[in-house]
Amino acid sequence: MTRAVRKQAIDWKQYDPGSFYDELISSPGYARAAARGIVSYLQTLTEKHLRNRQQAADLAIQEMGISFTVYSEGENIDRTWPMDIIPRIISSTEWRRLEAGLVQRLTALNLFIDDIYHRQRIIKDKVFPAEIIQSSKDFLTQCVGAKPKYGVWAHICGSDLVRDSDGTVYVLEDNLRVPSGVSYMLENRAVTKRVLPQLFSRHSILPVDDYASQLFDMLTSLSPRQSRSPEVVVMTPGIYNSAYFEHSYLAQRMGAELVMGSDLVVGEDDCVYMKTIKGLERVDVIYRRVNDDFLDPEAFRPDSCLGTPGLLRAWRAGKVALANAPGAGVADDKVVYTYVPAIVRYYLDEDPIIPNVPSFLCVDEQQRKHVLANLATMVVKPANESGGYGMLVGPVASRAERTKFAELIKKNPRNYMAQPALSLSTAPTLCNGRIEPRHLDLRPFILQGKSHYVTAGGLTRVALRKGSLVVNSSQGGGSKDTWVVDTETR
Amino acid sequence: MLSRVAERLYWLARYIERTENTARLMLVQHHLVLDLPAPIRPGWDLMIAVLGTREQFDALPGKPTEKNIIDFLFGSRENPSSIMSSLADARENMRTTREVTPTETWERINSLYLSVAQRGARALPGSSRHKVLNDIIQRCQQITGMLAGSMNNDAAYQFIRIGRNLERADMSTRIIDTASARLLGDREEILPYRNVLWVSVLKSLSAYQMYRLSVQRNVNAGDVLHFLLQSRIFPRAVAHTLHEINSSVGLLPRNRDALATLAEVKQTLDGADLGTLKGNALHTFIDDVQLMLDRVHNSINSTWFEPDAQN
Repeated sequence: MTRAVRKQAIDWKQYDPGSFYDELISSPGYARAAARGIVSYLQTLTEKHLRNRQQAADLAIQEMGISFTVYSEGENIDRTWPMDIIPRIISSTEWRRLEAGLVQRLTALNLFIDDIYHRQRIIKDKVFPAEIIQSSKDFLTQCVGAKPKYGVWAHICGSDLVRDSDGTVYVLEDNLRVPSGVSYMLENRAVTKRVLPQLFSRHSILPVDDYASQLFDMLTSLSPRQSRSPEVVVMTPGIYNSAYFEHSYLAQRMGAELVMGSDLVVGEDDCVYMKTIKGLERVDVIYRRVNDDFLDPEAFRPDSCLGTPGLLRAWRAGKVALANAPGAGVADDKVVYTYVPAIVRYYLDEDPIIPNVPSFLCVDEQQRKHVLANLATMVVKPANESGGYGMLVGPVASRAERTKFAELIKKNPRNYMAQPALSLSTAPTLCNGRIEPRHLDLRPFILQGKSHYVTAGGLTRVALRKGSLVVNSSQGGGSKDTWVVDTETR
Repeated sequence: MLSRVAERLYWLARYIERTENTARLMLVQHHLVLDLPAPIRPGWDLMIAVLGTREQFDALPGKPTEKNIIDFLFGSRENPSSIMSSLADARENMRTTREVTPTETWERINSLYLSVAQRGARALPGSSRHKVLNDIIQRCQQITGMLAGSMNNDAAYQFIRIGRNLERADMSTRIIDTASARLLGDREEILPYRNVLWVSVLKSLSAYQMYRLSVQRNVNAGDVLHFLLQSRIFPRAVAHTLHEINSSVGLLPRNRDALATLAEVKQTLDGADLGTLKGNALHTFIDDVQLMLDRVHNSINSTWFEPDAQN
């Protein structure tokens, strides 16, 4: 007769990420140094126990109202944010290097944007081709000559990092327009603290909590007035935007008003005012989560009802700060991306600390030929889309899809770039009560105003479907709490 | 506080109150119809007059049958002040002010909205009428209570309180106006039932019990009018609602205009000798009160909701 045994949640010897790099496990049965505490802790849990914790986390997320909006079948659906309870671990030694790399990158990108809207030295010095700017839909002539404070245009940047099977971390893309996700990073930590408090005693983990105050300090540093308490507001397109939860969350955390375009008015004096019950009150800094196109119907799309007429005029006159500055998106173009290593070298005279994923520009004939010949092993991206839309993932695409994309590339080569499909790293993830490897990426957030700040870790997004490389929450992705674990002080 | 947020809170409160009031009005009418003999039974038609939605109803193809009118008052989307429309508006206003309102109230209003929406446009048979309407009244009161019991008494709450009270004043004057037009006509056949009808007026404003406690005489026109218009202690009496609005307005910035308007309304209301007002004179008086309530609204609107118009 078999005796009843306690059903372990995981036997790490059975956990096998195959040829992929796993963030927590170095080889079957062995944890990476920074992850030892959590790996041994998980071993003490039963499957049931672990499932209970995941349920507790799901419930906490529902109660806390952490949601995101998807637009589907003509309706807006508020979905509960999916979070896996097993944290993703990064060692502090590695993180320090990545942090320096991210600061280096954003510093160079801001020098680049400022140069592009002024003298264009980088073009005159033939490091960067003029055609790319001329054909970029994110280069805004309305912004030429503008002088944002500190010469900084992209104040908030979310850069996506991925790790290949050999362990190298690459920058996959930089989001310089209105990057989102930071609220989920903060909420994920809050949820983990609620459901797995025991874990925190086993590690020394860098806190993420101070993001809102860092953001607020950065925003106030942009104020055009020498006032002790500048009026900072968060500008949202409204409740139907997919990131509305985050807009409202950040406004609350910073104690800033959450405004819509119609709450603001630009006066004869070029100052921006918000309509309050006390009358019109001057606004100094706008953290805008409205895209350039819709920001100011006077300057950009005249049909926009999300913006405020005259906003660009006020910004150009130096009467209000906009974060990010309009036009910053010129550096958030997947074709410009391929030049970032050159941009870093040109402005900083340093080698990039974090490499780019090798990329091929379809506008270049040689490179295009290579892409078309190797579509089955490549990821093709349109230059100006986000959220994982309009992409071709060669290895999983059908023959018909590849043929269709080949046509698209030939028709409009400037609009496409391609990269070899990376073998994204994995981490142990709870799937239907069992721990299995799933692919993931990382989006840290970098702030630049008077000084720099990088979040400790960032938002880890995980593809919940087995074998899938798509981590976007709108397409079946989940997330993990991300821990930067101190491995040096003991 | 942003003007937009203030305005939405104000309307949120008005729509919740309107939902409750409309449900109560229908409930009382439902019972009244059961109580009275056919010749003097007030038609459902009257409801349309009370709620000021004659135009919208006449624009629709249906005849003014009981069923059509109830559908129109309850689930119709064509009627901007049907229970369905009021709830949809209340929900939309709360959805956009979730930063300043308690989370539980959002859940309540959402579930109330969904339960009414699920019934569809035409689904209030006599047998379930009492239960459904009563349920709506209770759930509205629960929401009002939650807001009162859990919000900071700051500017945000003052706008809710103002909205709620102005809506109450509006409904009270509407009911008095319509009722008095019918009851003060001294039609012979009504006389034996006058008492029942005045009681129903009080009930429409959930005032019957409180009237009894406060006025220890038989139910008569003068006393009822005095109680509903001039009482300082009954929450739905117009004078009381104005007093509440006045105290909220007193806490808001830049309130001079609004306070002045309120003072005028109060003077007119207090000065009226309701015992002597009959027929047309009463109707004109109520009309004046309504116009003054409109002025209160306009003054709130231009002071706090559209500040750029006057700066």
